[in-house]
Amino acid sequence: MTATTAPEAALGVLPRADGSAKYSHAGYTVTASVSGPIEAQRRDEHAYEAHVDVVVRPAAGVGGTRERHLESILQSTLAQIILIKNFPRSLIQIVLQVEDSPENDYVNTKLVQASLNFAIMPALIQTAVLALLSAGVPMRATLTATAVAMAHRDGAKKTIVDPTPRDIETAQSVHVFAFTSRDELLLAESEGDFTVEEWDDVCETAKKVCCHSAPAKEGMAMVLDDEDVGGPDMRQFLRSTMKSKVDADLHWK
Amino acid sequence: MTTTPTVSLPAPIFAKVTPRPFLLRGLANPPSPDLPPARTNGRGPRETRPISVNASSLSHAHGSALVRVGDTTVLCGVRGELLPVESIPQFRPLDKNAALTEKEGGGGNNDVIGRGELKDYDLLVPNIELATGSAPQFLPGVPPTALAQTLSTRVYSLLHSTGLVEAGDLRVWYKPGGGHKTGEDVDMGEGEGGGEGEGEEDRVVAYWVLYIDLQFASFDGNPFDVAWAAVVAALRDTRLPVARWDPDRETVVCSRTESRKLNVRGLPVACSAAVFVKKESSEKGARTKQGDYWLLLDPDRLEETLCREVITMVVDSSDGETRIKSIEKHGGTIIGRELIRGYAGVAAKRSIEVKKAVEAMES
Repeated sequence: MTATTAPEAALGVLPRADGSAKYSHAGYTVTASVSGPIEAQRRDEHAYEAHVDVVVRPAAGVGGTRERHLESILQSTLAQIILIKNFPRSLIQIVLQVEDSPENDYVNTKLVQASLNFAIMPALIQTAVLALLSAGVPMRATLTATAVAMAHRDGAKKTIVDPTPRDIETAQSVHVFAFTSRDELLLAESEGDFTVEEWDDVCETAKKVCCHSAPAKEGMAMVLDDEDVGGPDMRQFLRSTMKSKVDADLHWK
Repeated sequence: MTTTPTVSLPAPIFAKVTPRPFLLRGLANPPSPDLPPARTNGRGPRETRPISVNASSLSHAHGSALVRVGDTTVLCGVRGELLPVESIPQFRPLDKNAALTEKEGGGGNNDVIGRGELKDYDLLVPNIELATGSAPQFLPGVPPTALAQTLSTRVYSLLHSTGLVEAGDLRVWYKPGGGHKTGEDVDMGEGEGGGEGEGEEDRVVAYWVLYIDLQFASFDGNPFDVAWAAVVAALRDTRLPVARWDPDRETVVCSRTESRKLNVRGLPVACSAAVFVKKESSEKGARTKQGDYWLLLDPDRLEETLCREVITMVVDSSDGETRIKSIEKHGGTIIGRELIRGYAGVAAKRSIEVKKAVEAMES
């Protein structure tokens, strides 16, 4: 599977959940369900805000320490965009099931891996946001996320958007960024070996992927779409996915 | 004569009842205009707690360090155990080129292979225990908390991504063509070893697995920075006994007297900060203005509970130039690009402090 395939998404795939979404991009397929606001367990209950509970289930096996870490990152990220103050004493539960992840042919694939998986983070974030939108949970902003790797190839620096597992292994550094729909940097995770300038360059690339079409110039974005950003236009994707879902739902009118 | 009674709360009660105003008070309006804004722990917003490092505190570990930053104390012990290659499922012998480069002192290619070994055979096993009683929120008899699991993932991930430990140090070789060293344990003459080894190639017979155990003796915020400093200090302190394959006994034997220091690459230092905002963000998404938030370096436990946005940057400035090894920022939108760029300088400054403390302990 090549990394440059366009993202695909379907909303409302699970009939019994409040909201659900299935998203696949760069070899990852993730299904998410959102329940909420529902009654919180006593220990999770917060007097002033909703508790956001994120559960990440890996493609094979049960979740380990790595999934706990992903959950804690997603939890703090999503709690920022959901209007949690609107639902005191309740719970918003997001379950993310990884269905498919790209294989790395070069190494022995181990079932349980403890190290961080950067490439999966954008897929998880994007699926969670789509499922939240599908559930109609009030949010402050939407999120778009991308992974970028920086590699030295033939003596030149090269940035790879949506890297494959092999790219990540050979890369100098790997980065994940998430931007809100107001172009604010909400999440930045990086690992590897890099300088501040290199990070800034990568951040610029990620911003182009995530925030390419600003809402104000929607019409213009179509025209400027051929600008080479080296990756899909995530915000436009989010918008068109929602639009087609709304169109389909309101077809009877 | 009557005076109006003034209600005054002792600081600990004030902190318990309304933690946010308690912290905000010192930062937003210092008691007198001449005083700089201060946190409840008496530090300035960008002031860290001094770090103290004590190495070799454990007698039965191969390396250990006790690191203390304010009231956060972490004890780290490194213990090596031998893993014979026969017990590794899917073991792939090193190709000759890799073995060759290792002898010559390592190269770029070897680096990648080495990292594969460390990861594939799980040669580094960090584990973090947040002891009951180190802070009130850790209850006895519960499974490892999300915090403990998150911390150990982060330590594990960083251990691999920084390449702190070289795989070459953990390999135990069998060199039939000579290179035997006579240790105290050797009860056979050296000449006998050569007989069956004739014509055999050098091969890796076992690996050292490093169990890196971290114990929080007391917990007062900023666990990752302290834990990571303890890991680095303990690995720098680690001496593994010289091990070799004994072909007669068909087992790996360790020398009683000789030991070898681990080569620890660089000195990466983690530096964390939390963002304390005056007001929790409103629905309208009004951006928080300059002056309505504070970047609190090296947050303590009270501050951590009040801040959502955190940043951790790991930098290595051991060889002059500052290289960033990791950035973790989530939970808010206040730290943008500019702030992260500026934060690299703050982290570099902290790394020099920590480097001094670690090196002072070693000399």
